[in-house]
Amino acid sequence: MIKIVSGFSFPSGSTVALVNLGNQFNERGHECVFYGPNKWHRDKCKAADIAEFHPEEGDIIIVHHIKLFSSADLFKIRDKVGQLRKKTRLDALRDIIQKNTPGSPKIAGLKIILTCQENGLFPLKRLKYSLFDKIHYADFSLAKYHKITHSHFICPNFGNRLTPSKTKPEKVAGIIGSIRRENQIESAVEKSFSDGMKTVILYGHMSDPVYYYSTIRPLTQKYPGRIKYAGFMDDKQQMYDSISDVYRSVARPWSLVRRECTLTNTMYHGPEACQGESLADDQIFTVWKNELGL
Amino acid sequence: MKNFEEDFYHLLHLLKIREPFAFNRFSDGELYMLQNLEVILGDHMAKIGDRVEKAPYHEEDFKRFNPEEHGFFRDRLIEAFRFKKKNYFKGLSCRCCVGEDNFKWQLDFHGRFDENFTWANLLVNGNYGKFIREMYPAFNAYKTVFICNKKNDLTLMPFVVKDFRVGYNAMVNDYGLIEEIKTWIDRNNIEGHLFLFSASAFSKMAIHQLYEHCDRNTYIDTGTTLNPFMGMRLDRSYLKSLWLGEKSEDINKICIW
Repeated sequence: MIKIVSGFSFPSGSTVALVNLGNQFNERGHECVFYGPNKWHRDKCKAADIAEFHPEEGDIIIVHHIKLFSSADLFKIRDKVGQLRKKTRLDALRDIIQKNTPGSPKIAGLKIILTCQENGLFPLKRLKYSLFDKIHYADFSLAKYHKITHSHFICPNFGNRLTPSKTKPEKVAGIIGSIRRENQIESAVEKSFSDGMKTVILYGHMSDPVYYYSTIRPLTQKYPGRIKYAGFMDDKQQMYDSISDVYRSVARPWSLVRRECTLTNTMYHGPEACQGESLADDQIFTVWKNELGL
Repeated sequence: MKNFEEDFYHLLHLLKIREPFAFNRFSDGELYMLQNLEVILGDHMAKIGDRVEKAPYHEEDFKRFNPEEHGFFRDRLIEAFRFKKKNYFKGLSCRCCVGEDNFKWQLDFHGRFDENFTWANLLVNGNYGKFIREMYPAFNAYKTVFICNKKNDLTLMPFVVKDFRVGYNAMVNDYGLIEEIKTWIDRNNIEGHLFLFSASAFSKMAIHQLYEHCDRNTYIDTGTTLNPFMGMRLDRSYLKSLWLGEKSEDINKICIW
């Protein structure tokens, strides 16, 4: 069985990517379950709580955002995820020690893939990446960023199924991404208003409420009635149908947003260089099929 | 045994599958009114029976319940408390927040156990982060009607299509608004809408009477949970903890039954 296991499964771009990946495997006849600690993913695909994750001989395990330093960690994955949530100042030091401590050997009969959907948020250099058979990068830029010399493959994420919006509002900007400082939401808001947008709607998981309250809330007072907060929308079509433009301040070349803007006739304003043609679902699946030896 | 987190996800599930329900909350203020004690929430003070203490109340929170004068409204509150219907969920004050005696008093006063009992604090304390991150976005799927104080700013919420406003001591002063909302529902064939309430004790009577009148809409008492999105103060510890990062045990508190 294919088992996807992630350190988080709250709504975010990477969780959506893993949900889509799991659904594609199942639709194409390869049984796959997505295990995560939150509940959001549960009704989106064949899924379970992380406590139910148990590696079994013959499994292909796709790991996301979990610090593994030993094969034995796979059997106490819930604890590993718990540790990841309790960040302390000693984390970096602990990672170095664990990385250099000999762990249990690789377990025969298990194929372990690390999927990388982030850059600075999850530095791969701190991991004992030799545990993994391969690393999957969702974009060339991620492979370039992490600079790990280990067997890997690059393959974009499966897209969401979207159609061109039948009607579009005028000058309504959407800012898509988790509400956290690293995404520089405040800059995207200012840019959209300076471009003449009438309204800005924020579509993103409330990752950092303190950042929202200290940085975004003052903007709601500066532009009274013109900023709205929708949160993370499960219904992507509804989201794109309700906006004319998308603004982003931070480059995320692996994100689906730019591609989805093209599909829905939404104008995209972001720092990324224009990407080439993306792969079709069948092509993406062929890459995974070959890399996993299905 | 009831589970604080599971009850939250049950309501979220109903919301996501668009199965109408009502979530009504009877927290400490309503408990004291049910106990027929005098309740005065005034400028930075609260008077409950003979007890007077400092409290974080401002003008929009002001409330005055005099047992001799306001018996009619207490009777309506009792009806809301004892009302029983499929998917009518009653949030009670929990023993960990109001003490064992008050908790038991509510159950005795209610009479027969209702399988739809849940926590008045279901959307706050240890569930508040989940409410903001998981339940609030689900409101986007609904045409939403907000019943709240005149001072609240609703422009941040993209899903709000209509609002009804109340003022100070709404339970007494705005009671007639319930009939007005019923008329609006009937005249406009309002079905499949979401009604959110942030109007103190008025909400309890309104949610009961509106769900009894039309159970094809969903009615949720959101209390103070959306204050940060409505330009209101963060004067509860669970709000300060999530939005200001202040240390408080409430934000992790899992209420017990």
